[in-house]
Amino acid sequence: MTKSIIVNGKEHLIDVDESMPLLWFLRDHLEYTGTKFGCGMGLCGACTVHVDGQAVRSCITTMASVVNKKITTIEGLSDNADHPLQKAWIENNVPQCGYCQAGQIMNAASFLAKNASPSSDEIDAAMQGNICRCGTYQRIKKAISEAATQMYKEA
Amino acid sequence: MSIAKISRRNFLTSAGATTGGLMLGISIPNQAMADINSKSDHNFNPNAFIHITDSGDTLIYCGRSEMGQGISTALPAAVADELEADWQRVTIKQADADDKYGSQATGGSASIRTMYIPMREAGAAAKEMLIAAAAEVWKIAAADCYAEMHYVYNKNNKQKLSYGELSSLAANIPVPTKPSLKTKAEFKYIGKPLARHNLNDIIVGKLTYGVDTKIPGLKYAAITHCPVLGGSLKSLEKDEALKVKGVIDVISIPRFNVPFGSIGGVAVVADNSWTAQQALKKLNIEWELGENQIYDTKQYKQQLVKNVEKPAEITSERGDVEQAFKNAKHKISATYTGGHLSHAPMEPNASVVWVQKDSCEVWAPTQSPKDIQKVLAQYLKREETDITVHVTMLGGAFGRKFKCDYVHEAAVLSEKVNAPVQLMWSREEDMRTGYYHSINAQHIEASIDENGNVSGWLHRAAFPSIDTLFNPSVLRATKGSLSAITDHPFGIENLRSESGEAKAHTRIGWYRAVYAIFYGFAFGTFADELAHKAKQDTLKFITNIYDNNKNPEQAEQVRRSKNTLALAAEKAGWSARKSLPKNQAIGIAIHYSFDSYVAMAVQVEVNDDDIKVLNVHCAIDCGQILNIDGATAQMEGAVVMGMSLALRTEIVFKQGAVVNSNFHDYQVMRITDMPNVSVHIVESDEKPTGLGEPGVGPFAPALSNAVFAASGKRYRDLPFKPQMV
Repeated sequence: MTKSIIVNGKEHLIDVDESMPLLWFLRDHLEYTGTKFGCGMGLCGACTVHVDGQAVRSCITTMASVVNKKITTIEGLSDNADHPLQKAWIENNVPQCGYCQAGQIMNAASFLAKNASPSSDEIDAAMQGNICRCGTYQRIKKAISEAATQMYKEA
Repeated sequence: MSIAKISRRNFLTSAGATTGGLMLGISIPNQAMADINSKSDHNFNPNAFIHITDSGDTLIYCGRSEMGQGISTALPAAVADELEADWQRVTIKQADADDKYGSQATGGSASIRTMYIPMREAGAAAKEMLIAAAAEVWKIAAADCYAEMHYVYNKNNKQKLSYGELSSLAANIPVPTKPSLKTKAEFKYIGKPLARHNLNDIIVGKLTYGVDTKIPGLKYAAITHCPVLGGSLKSLEKDEALKVKGVIDVISIPRFNVPFGSIGGVAVVADNSWTAQQALKKLNIEWELGENQIYDTKQYKQQLVKNVEKPAEITSERGDVEQAFKNAKHKISATYTGGHLSHAPMEPNASVVWVQKDSCEVWAPTQSPKDIQKVLAQYLKREETDITVHVTMLGGAFGRKFKCDYVHEAAVLSEKVNAPVQLMWSREEDMRTGYYHSINAQHIEASIDENGNVSGWLHRAAFPSIDTLFNPSVLRATKGSLSAITDHPFGIENLRSESGEAKAHTRIGWYRAVYAIFYGFAFGTFADELAHKAKQDTLKFITNIYDNNKNPEQAEQVRRSKNTLALAAEKAGWSARKSLPKNQAIGIAIHYSFDSYVAMAVQVEVNDDDIKVLNVHCAIDCGQILNIDGATAQMEGAVVMGMSLALRTEIVFKQGAVVNSNFHDYQVMRITDMPNVSVHIVESDEKPTGLGEPGVGPFAPALSNAVFAASGKRYRDLPFKPQMV
């Protein structure tokens, strides 16, 4: 029986060893390179994607565990780069090198979907698994907070 | 500098442009360029390109690498400002490796310092040519025209022509030799906050880094290295790995003993990254570890301390330190240490290389494409010009990606499997077999005379030097590596610097801020210790040391250091610091490095052993600022990196090998520890200087001073709270 997953709304057959982490299926097989490798142990968050809306570390999520699931990567977060977080990221000129930012945004998007008006401490707690070596934390915090306000207004 | 038109044919070959219009090359003379020019006999060698197409789209090719520091926004903004370009119409492209760009080495916070004026002049020249073209069309004097936002206007009747309409006509105008530059009041982009040009691609995951290159037939590789520098392969059993479905080959890479060559390892090439990584685990490898297996950083650091607490090799001397010490009212001494650091950029070492019979093509995140050409030419026995290097976006670098051993390895693999290969190092390999910031010890003895002035300063430093990369027989840091002591703008009449023995047992490499990390720490912390000894306010005490500098050549450094320090103190509420809660305090420090001045005032709360950084006020003087937002971002980042290395990060060696492996035991700073950072800029018309590195130095001493003020506990060893003991 063939198995598949849905990535950004498109179905793909799983034609690899199911012990392969989702990260490498996305990057090497589907060539969705927006999702990055950073540590391989779920320590840095660079590889964060959504599985059925929930943020996961794709470097430690096997293909076997995502059969028939809906995956969203940074490429599929919004149709026109207009997710409130993406807009807030532009507004605050958040990234420096940008490498960790897809993971940061995807982690924040899943968090805000569950907590529409987070406190500063809640943002810290939610984002503590995402490392940025360039040091953009101050702007990440501000952008998340502003996006939350925006989403609250629109809701 | 000279600016010239270049033929379309030449331009198309070199830069891949597609339409007509005005194309300008900018030639910036520097040491690297001098060599090239002598070879090519006064031929025009442009090292940056501007292309205004006949649709008005403006392309600027940037010869320096972008790793998040914002250079590919800042330099083109300088061009666009003088060009009177509409920033929305400007596209920036990263240039491939080519001698015609002059030095492409991106480091030392040097890009702005060397290229600011040339880039502006290029923009100004293009604008004058566009204006001259419009004047010809209207048959009026150029003086009756002006340019604004991608148009040239006729002053008399407000007629206008777009840059697109004018670009091909402008190509027939002679290039002005001395284009006039704008005054500060006329700047549109320079000195204003500008968003980085690739922001829109980043937030949708479209920006491609070294790890993201995809070409048909691409194979994927994983590697493990000999854990000890200088070791070699003793035995390799690879049958189990070769049995894994999708594995193409297992290849042993011998140590290539040139700077930035591989230290030696074994790699698996496969159909995808995961397969390569899994097969790598099935290898059974024995290494001959070699003489560096004695390396133990705990013992080594203790030895460095011994080496600086006794007389060492004198590298500079002025006045009479001994006499100053004899006449001292107070004399104090202190010893400071620091550990190795791993750059750990979020993008690990990775590149794609395709070696073919007649070509070699490289896609690499690199700070020095020229060095890739050198190493690969030597390895493949080809000409440097036969190595094509495409510089990708760098996912962080901090000095690591100046040294592209990983590209050399990918080339070895590509040659062996006869296919394009992407080699990506694991985080563990990045942390365990990299290049490291020097482990170090410094001992300072100083005297305060009866007037409260610092009269004598003996400064001994011992650290394995970066020079050992190029000459392994170097056994102590050379005079040049200690010049930051001699040249420090503090006014100390009697000063001696000495270099203690420190043999390298691992690869030592430039790390963001380099030696300014430990010099900034020692100078900044010791100044505070002296102030406490003299029972003086640290700010006043440091200002007084500067005032004692009577060397006219350092008058500017003294003035700018004092201003910057005063600004940080004022913004942080230094004079009102006594009103803070008992467990809170402010510490202050300043460091001048890479021609820029950065002062930090750090406010902490200390509860027992717990240090919480609350606020950081950072003042900078980097001359005329290009991009206020970019400058601010660099300081925010410097605080984060400074805080990681001040509090926690340290690479530890035992039996010659690194013990750390990933982010759980190399604990870089996370969002939960982020203080409020405020950046204050000294208004300045001085020539602009870089900011990638200078912010890192002053954080740790300011923090040490703050913790002492809050708790009475003095931290003299970096990191304050080592994770690996």
